[in-house]
Amino acid sequence: MEYFSLKRSNAADRGGLNLSSKVYVRSTKSGKVQKIVRELYLRQDIPCSSNLCRPCLETAPTDYTKKVAPFVLSDTPAGSKNFPNGQYLVPDTNAFLTGMDLFEMETAFHDVIVLQTVLEEVKNRSLPLYHRLIALTKNEGKRFYVFFNEFRQETHIPRDVGETINDRNDRAVRKAVEWYNQHITQAVKTRSKSQMRIPSVVMITDDRDNLRKAKMEKVPAITLADFVFSLENADELLDMMSAAQDQREVRSKKTEVFYGEHYTVSKMMTGVKAGTMHQGIFNVSPYNYLEGSVHVPAFDKSLLILGRENSNRAVSGDVVVVEVLPQDQWKAPSTKIIEEETLNKNDNPEVEDGETIVSERERKALQEEVKRAHGQSSEGKPLPTARVVGIVKRNWRQYVGHIDQGSVRSTSKTSRQQQMVFLVPMDKRIPKIRIRTRQAGELLGQRILATIDSWDRDSRYPMGHFVRSLGELESKGAETEALLLEWDVQYKPFPKTVLDCLPAEGHDWKVPASLDDPGWKGRKNLRDLLVCSIDPPGCVDIDDALHARKLQNGNFEVGVHIADVSHFVKPNNAMDKEASQRGTTVYLVDKRIDMLPMLLGTDLCSLKPYVERYAFSVLWEITSDADIVSSQFTKSVIRSREAFSYEQAQIRIDDASQQDDLTNGMRTLLMLSKKLKQKRYEAGALNLASPEVKVQTESETSDPVDVQTKKLLDTNSLVEEFMLLANISVAAKNYEAFPQTALLRRHAAPPKTNFEELANQLKVKKGLELRSDSSKALADSLDTCVVPEEPFFNTLVRIMATRCMMSAEYFCAGTQAYPEFRHYGLASEIYTHFTSPIRRYADLEAHRQLAAAIEYEALDPSLQSKSKLEGVCKNINVRHRNAQMAGRASIEYYVGQALKGKDITEEGFVMKVFSNGFVVFVPRFGIESLIRLRDLATPEPEAQFDAENYVLKVGGEVNGSVELFEKVNVRITDEVEQSTGKRKVKLTLV
Amino acid sequence: MPLDTSTYSLALLRLDGRRWNELRRIHAQISTQAAADGSSYLEMGNTKVLCTVTGPAEGRQSGQRGGKDSEAKVEVEIGFAGFSGLERRKRKNDKRTAEMQHTLETAYSSLLLTHLYPHSTITLNIHILSQDGSLLAACLNAATLALIDAGIPMTDYLVACTAASSATSSDSDNSDPLLDLNNLEEQELPFLTVGTLGKTDRVSVLICETRVRMERVEGMLAVGIEGCKRMREILDGVVKEYGKKFS
Ligand SMILES: [Zn+2]
Repeated sequence: MEYFSLKRSNAADRGGLNLSSKVYVRSTKSGKVQKIVRELYLRQDIPCSSNLCRPCLETAPTDYTKKVAPFVLSDTPAGSKNFPNGQYLVPDTNAFLTGMDLFEMETAFHDVIVLQTVLEEVKNRSLPLYHRLIALTKNEGKRFYVFFNEFRQETHIPRDVGETINDRNDRAVRKAVEWYNQHITQAVKTRSKSQMRIPSVVMITDDRDNLRKAKMEKVPAITLADFVFSLENADELLDMMSAAQDQREVRSKKTEVFYGEHYTVSKMMTGVKAGTMHQGIFNVSPYNYLEGSVHVPAFDKSLLILGRENSNRAVSGDVVVVEVLPQDQWKAPSTKIIEEETLNKNDNPEVEDGETIVSERERKALQEEVKRAHGQSSEGKPLPTARVVGIVKRNWRQYVGHIDQGSVRSTSKTSRQQQMVFLVPMDKRIPKIRIRTRQAGELLGQRILATIDSWDRDSRYPMGHFVRSLGELESKGAETEALLLEWDVQYKPFPKTVLDCLPAEGHDWKVPASLDDPGWKGRKNLRDLLVCSIDPPGCVDIDDALHARKLQNGNFEVGVHIADVSHFVKPNNAMDKEASQRGTTVYLVDKRIDMLPMLLGTDLCSLKPYVERYAFSVLWEITSDADIVSSQFTKSVIRSREAFSYEQAQIRIDDASQQDDLTNGMRTLLMLSKKLKQKRYEAGALNLASPEVKVQTESETSDPVDVQTKKLLDTNSLVEEFMLLANISVAAKNYEAFPQTALLRRHAAPPKTNFEELANQLKVKKGLELRSDSSKALADSLDTCVVPEEPFFNTLVRIMATRCMMSAEYFCAGTQAYPEFRHYGLASEIYTHFTSPIRRYADLEAHRQLAAAIEYEALDPSLQSKSKLEGVCKNINVRHRNAQMAGRASIEYYVGQALKGKDITEEGFVMKVFSNGFVVFVPRFGIESLIRLRDLATPEPEAQFDAENYVLKVGGEVNGSVELFEKVNVRITDEVEQSTGKRKVKLTLV
Repeated sequence: MPLDTSTYSLALLRLDGRRWNELRRIHAQISTQAAADGSSYLEMGNTKVLCTVTGPAEGRQSGQRGGKDSEAKVEVEIGFAGFSGLERRKRKNDKRTAEMQHTLETAYSSLLLTHLYPHSTITLNIHILSQDGSLLAACLNAATLALIDAGIPMTDYLVACTAASSATSSDSDNSDPLLDLNNLEEQELPFLTVGTLGKTDRVSVLICETRVRMERVEGMLAVGIEGCKRMREILDGVVKEYGKKFS
């Protein structure tokens, strides 16, 4: 018998393919070391993707559908000073890490080869940058090609003995560039014998050693800066290069350190596990930039982080790990307004010598705080105080701001001298950002977009770089774009791929006339129902319409008809993906940023009057006591008889002479809605006021003319009640059909501690009791918070109570236990959003789930995957919040513009008292504003703060006192706020 | 950070450099253990298995009978080498192992001409030396070779492959089916194992344990069956090569 060895021969038994292996060593959870061997199949058919090359085209891979991916790199790439014949760029990892903004410029950096080696390293170093790089490779105009050099036989290199991974990867990059140059030269020569331009393939690296080796090996290479210098718009581009580059050299000169070192990741993780450290999101107080808080699971109340030293380079929004300080160092939350602008006005961005982290003024401000904290009892009770010991994840984004004039050395517009300036972010919770620029003169007075690159221990402020200018400060265009950027609203026009998903008929689309048309399949014909819509005046995206009629048994049939958006927006096409990204339509004062293209939102989906439209209907049988007998869901076709504004509908209902069926239907709806509302309140639903302000604009110019708070009519709540009812009914139906994946909306009960302060304030100031043990108790006690002589007081309390609430959120049913589904504010055990699919993505998803639940159509797999839906929820929760904030910011801007140059005296109420100022709310304009002691008189008057009674006694010439809830007369003027460059209303006490 | 399967669409290259329709390197031998009635050793990439066949043997102990009166019983036992894979959890009574054993038993019970051996047992012992994806397929292929080596008559070769549906890129719904998965791919992608009989397209084993979109299954099956055909050629080559040594 022959002896068989299990050892295989090394001869490759695969034609054309060569086998290599990659060995990884990784440690397992139990601490053992494991060797992982991975196969690598080396090949010669990975194309260079240059349109100059024919041989590669012949061997280019085809996919399953036999398609060949088009070649990416231009046959006539742009050239530059050093490479007049054109160039393909091959950046190394650091080039992408420091210069991603540059690579994203539309005007420069085309025909770029991204090596696999580099892509892997970028992914290793920064996931956000990796995603941006991947996005670039998909942007056809930029012509970025990913070349899998590690799989191509000629460019694959093993790691030498003793060679570091970095050195090996640098060598792999050089090897690939070398191969590319030979390959392109060869390709051009075989293509035509006559003289042709042969582009150079150029490595971009800032690593000196790598450059030296490249020179030795005759591989074309250049630094990122040198390359940018050789371009035409060099100045603008150079500012965008991450400051990290220059810093490397500067840093070696200075060794002064301002901040404590961050702990290592493993030390933090061990600490968190052991309970000695805590992880949470760092938030900065809007009133005091030196006071932050971190909510961690182990403590009811948020941990306090006071001062720069303790916040140790954390920026609002970062995920941090904190350590609680010994109890004798605990402090009370601030009762003082501290603004960075006023304390550190004179910091010089250039000079770091002799600087300490905490400026002398900051220290003084904080010391006063501490003294007060220790001398006081109830209100000023010290809270668990902590310090940041490390940062788990930076949440840096792009920040909008303006250049601090005081920080600019040379304001000459023509100066091209590089200087360091401060960018003051619009968001007060973000520290000033140091920026190096050559165009300081030009940037003054502009809205600027910038990013933070790093924050080192030896730098008091973070370093960043300029991205672009949005335009002149206070101009409508720049300010609108600024707030859209600040709230991350996608406002670019819809791309062609999205518009391609629209029905080909465009505005001529109609409900098919023939009932045999597939569009009618499974649809109820509800065209005979007397349906109407009631919306704010001028509403063009009509999501919902209603009807009611009496049944023979004495009950009523009520229908809520919602635009059938899911008929037009199919899951996973480009339009759906765009909508899911946007998450919601954003309403600004003069502008609407749609979630869906206009054609759908304002025409085909919109339940316009007098035309037939597809709808998704919820039909109930309801008794005259507003008890639900049965509910039914169906796709339908309706024809709305009228589109009313709230006011028109109200007038029509109130006019007894109108006795037509449509008006009587609305009267029925109104009667039932009042009973539904009554029931909700009995169940403990909250009536929370938030000031809604309307800015009247002249339509042509959209310049604001007047500001007024919105009036609420009975018809407002008519619509609201039935929308709530529809949402609740659909939530229950979807949950029944999809207990794991139904997309729902919950509103958690607020922790008791949230109401402690408000309850105490009401008790001390007005002898009123606020109970918050249940939503019912809260609702009832809010009703008792009245001061007979001041009707607005109750609304004020409700506004303040709203701020103690948790925010509602979308979630996927399988991620929570049923009791957690509860919507606290609405006192409903289950809830979702169904009634506004034109402007909210959550509603669109609910439509799809409901359509599947009633077996109208099959459910798309994306709605069956819990993890995918969780991703959707996470995104739309953020978008929803951002949209609200952007809307508010827009109103704030317009209120500022409307009051421009005016001087009005109005009534206001004191909402919050600090030791050096107070916050006043003006109901007429829905604005609140800070009045500081130093605004009352110059010099700043002396004042005594009685924290227990919320009274601020002001001495000096003012000689009076201000207390919480007090009604005051304020003079309203406008001014441009120094710290943010925004026009804001300014209040002074009369 | 190593890339993941989502980068496939960038250049139609998989994590190990293969195209969508390529098998890994397959290496196989038969009659590797002289003492067994039949044996084989098979590698699909870094997945390595040894298989030995004992039998057909009549009931070993009194009272214990083989199969039913009329046919032989097929028993499969799968064991793991301590160094075979990443997960070193208790393997013995692992549910997944039991399922694989069951799949093999069912497949070979109908494939082998068991009625020729009444009252007897055919035992397959499979030892897994190393795991890197497509484990069930490798077991089936190795078992087929070992059974041929043992000279147990069967209607045709049973050969198997895995096929997956590649991750869709965010901007298109196109997804290529991928053939013969390694471990990394199995962890990230929905996949199935398909076994066919000889040169025909007759599917005799089809296992899919992950959720996969209905419209993707067709492509995955087509690619899997195509892969089985190539696998059969390779195994057939191994058998013939072995035959030559004795002719
Ligand atoms: Zn080529």
